[in-house]
Amino acid sequence: MTESKITTIEDLHTYLYAALQLEHATIPPYMTALYSLHNGSNSPAWHTLRVVVVEEMLHLALAANVLNAVGGSPDLTARDFVPAYPACLPNGEKDFEVDIQSFSAAAVETFLNIERPAKAPTQERRLVPRSRRAGQLLAASPTDPGMQYYSIGEFYAEIARGLKHLDEEYARHNRRLFTGDRRRQVTPEFFYSGGGEPIVVTGLESALRAVDFIAGQGEGLGGGIYDSKDELAHYYRFQQLKLGRYYQKGDQPDQPTGPPLWVDWSTVYPVLKNAHLDNYPAGSELRKAAREFNETYAGFLSFLTKAFTGQPELLLEAVPEMFRLRDEMSRLMRNPIPGRPGVHAAPTFEMAGVVGGEA
Amino acid sequence: MLYPQNAAARTDPEAVSETSYDAVIVGGGISGAIIADQLSRAGQRVLILEAGPGDDMTIEGYEEYLTRFYSAVTKDNQSPYAVNPNAPMPRSTDVRNIVPGQPDSSSYLVQNGPYATDTVYTRVLGGTTMHWEAKVMRMLPEDFEMASRYGQGLDWPIGYDDLEPHYQAAEREIGVSADVEDQTFLGVTYPPGYVFPMRGLPLSYLDKMVARGVDGTEVEAGGERVTLKVRPFPQGRNGIPNPAYDGGKGYTPVGAVSTHQVETGGRCQGNNNCVPLCPVQARYHAGKTLAKALGNGVELLAKSVAYKVHTDPVNGRVTQIEFRTYRDPSSPEHVTGTARGRIFVIGAGAIENARLMLASGLNSSSGLMGRNLMDHAYLLNWALLPEIAGTGRGTNSTGGIVDLRGGSFRGKHAGFGIDIHNDGWGWATGAPFTDLQHIVDAKHKFGPDLRRALVDQVSRQLLFAFMVEVPPNPSNRVTVDPAYRDQLGNMRPVLSYSIPDYTMRGAAYGRRLAQRIFERLGAEDCTAYSPTDYGYVSYEGQGYAIRGGNHLGGTHVMGTSPANSVVDATQRSWDHQNLYLVGGGSMPTIGTANVTLTIAALCFKSAERMIEQLRAERAPVALLAGTSGSAQGSGQ
Repeated sequence: MTESKITTIEDLHTYLYAALQLEHATIPPYMTALYSLHNGSNSPAWHTLRVVVVEEMLHLALAANVLNAVGGSPDLTARDFVPAYPACLPNGEKDFEVDIQSFSAAAVETFLNIERPAKAPTQERRLVPRSRRAGQLLAASPTDPGMQYYSIGEFYAEIARGLKHLDEEYARHNRRLFTGDRRRQVTPEFFYSGGGEPIVVTGLESALRAVDFIAGQGEGLGGGIYDSKDELAHYYRFQQLKLGRYYQKGDQPDQPTGPPLWVDWSTVYPVLKNAHLDNYPAGSELRKAAREFNETYAGFLSFLTKAFTGQPELLLEAVPEMFRLRDEMSRLMRNPIPGRPGVHAAPTFEMAGVVGGEA
Repeated sequence: MLYPQNAAARTDPEAVSETSYDAVIVGGGISGAIIADQLSRAGQRVLILEAGPGDDMTIEGYEEYLTRFYSAVTKDNQSPYAVNPNAPMPRSTDVRNIVPGQPDSSSYLVQNGPYATDTVYTRVLGGTTMHWEAKVMRMLPEDFEMASRYGQGLDWPIGYDDLEPHYQAAEREIGVSADVEDQTFLGVTYPPGYVFPMRGLPLSYLDKMVARGVDGTEVEAGGERVTLKVRPFPQGRNGIPNPAYDGGKGYTPVGAVSTHQVETGGRCQGNNNCVPLCPVQARYHAGKTLAKALGNGVELLAKSVAYKVHTDPVNGRVTQIEFRTYRDPSSPEHVTGTARGRIFVIGAGAIENARLMLASGLNSSSGLMGRNLMDHAYLLNWALLPEIAGTGRGTNSTGGIVDLRGGSFRGKHAGFGIDIHNDGWGWATGAPFTDLQHIVDAKHKFGPDLRRALVDQVSRQLLFAFMVEVPPNPSNRVTVDPAYRDQLGNMRPVLSYSIPDYTMRGAAYGRRLAQRIFERLGAEDCTAYSPTDYGYVSYEGQGYAIRGGNHLGGTHVMGTSPANSVVDATQRSWDHQNLYLVGGGSMPTIGTANVTLTIAALCFKSAERMIEQLRAERAPVALLAGTSGSAQGSGQ
């Protein structure tokens, strides 16, 4: 059985598009949790979430670089690109729901689930039949929706395998797999993240490095708590919040020994979980603001698409664009929903109606 | 940048008093940090005495500074920092008009006048780089030769070319964003192929708008025609690394400092409060260098204010520095300790260096200790542009005019640089807060009208800050007087200062130039100097409000002999062979460049000499003499 795996260049493109989708899908939940924190409170949580969001954007850029390098074309404006929330992610042979919600112990658990290192116990169980059909499952086999990967790590392992396999096969036929336009690559000049630089993908070696980096930054490298750039992996960053202590050099997984850290679960705007536009009264200012945010976000995705399809220099403008996202999200989250005491509005990230036609 | 955990608690006054260090450094600012880093890398054991609270540099601690700044009513340079009567610092809001003959002692700096300065320096870990703007230009070659070229001020014992390699080291340490082609003017040169660590930061929209009126304008200065141009400034804030740096090795920007991993500040985000504090630490502060130094094992003793420098009456060498360690900033309670080492470095800033030496009775055989105090004289000019110019966006100052920093006119009047302020009239009028008040109280606007009126007012504001050179003048000085002490018993600095006519001629020229540029821009000149202003200076029938520049220098000038200077070209004291007085105080002129880059370059140069001296002076006899324990000999 190989149809659910990568056998052709088209499969590879489909997988890499799914990777873009997957990397992006974590951004709305992380960003919502980030901006649900009261201004000036919860510095450790704020920095953890901020770093992770920025690095997920780096992963997005890396996935785009790999896709571009093998002649694909990233499109973040496609109708299905942003999942409906809750979205699902694999958790071994089951899956779990990823909600858009306020920063909370439950949110941190979800984030730990997203970033948790997991390797399939056997080769056969890397790809398993889907446990349930409801909800949009990310890291499913994009070529066979009935099958899901054991973990995000295994999903990327398949991309790495596919890249190697196709590269060999192409070489055997005197063809080149990496035919993409070099000018489409996002280079360190145009993209900045404290936790790593974009890898320019020009061949198999750099493509594998990019894929490894994406997987390693989330889960850590080879069972350790740091990634290939000596940065603390996302899973362990979130675990610090749960355990109330920072990791430091030399620490073993699950046993941080650095300075203590303080989380204040109460200085958070209590936003509606997985909010939809319909949750806001018709004609209300909130509804208008939520729709405006979705438009801004759609604009941001189309801006990224341009940056990933030949205009990487546009990324220099991303900073003010992200400040705009922050401001519009904060505007929503600081306002209670009329008639629902104690529940604040949240961005809905519903792109239908703003991209690709009518709602 | 990782700050080693508990680095601020590595030692205590008792342990310090029982230790003999290779080097004892007073002050954890940029000078002390660079020297500590260099010496510790060379294997030397180093102690830093820091007057400020000096807790571990954590993200939370930095954010406390930010919160204090955000919530402060007056957003002055010191607003992020808690009041500390045991290591007090001047604040611009403290300045009062001086009545002739009556020194103003109402705040930390005792001012004799006649000019009342609002200059400040910051006494916390990291020093004044905790509030600086991080504009990092090199001095001009002619700034080092003012006496021989123009008959003004003093010559340096070294020239631009001697300092050039150290400027490069300073640019690496601070992390400078600039392009060589923009920064090559008035004789400033670089070795072939040199690039700055990071690419230049772009001019703001406001800069470009001003450039439309300025570029190509010809002015006459000292009988010569000079063509003006708006140029970007070199900045000590993180931009895009230049891949060609360091022979193609590139450069990795240094972001925020903390005791745990946090990735922020690797790039400037364009927040508009570089002064006093960058919210993300994209702007350099000396904590970035201190973190490295502490990583090398340097010891830091905070809350410890140097009280007296003790010397050997026979050979003049410093034997120990007596310090007072307090526990609580609000209480005068303290313990006395002594720090001993093979060499001593005093890097507490131009005013504090002189204050400590004078309080120790060490006036320098030249008689120049504390004299030649200099600070740039700022003349502010403000106007309202005819259209929205985007004021309030970008970092504080991205561009300006440097063409009149040098030239033959300096035989007659001071040179100056012009900063275009992206933060509007704040420095001159207290904008935008005063604008808001005015629109509400006088124009009675509210709601959307108020918002529109505020945007219309603020985003058209143009402020030119003319940074005018002040030559050395022995009667501009720091002294001490036992009548004036701080809570811990340290004598406070007493300033006597006037603005020289040479400077005022430059300021008057600058005022006329500003009027001319405003006219070309179609801007409405709103500049007004009040005779009741504490900084009001009359010159040839006109009045000007002069502001302090926080660019202090000259209190222990370097020179060619013990007769004409306090220190030599490596900042080593002529009188005390194991003492280095470092920082702006060593500068015989401050030219028209913000002083920090030059201070950093001088410290790299001095560190080389210190390492040489430490390696040369390895005589065990000297060590025994140093450790034979007269620690109790000093006054309790």
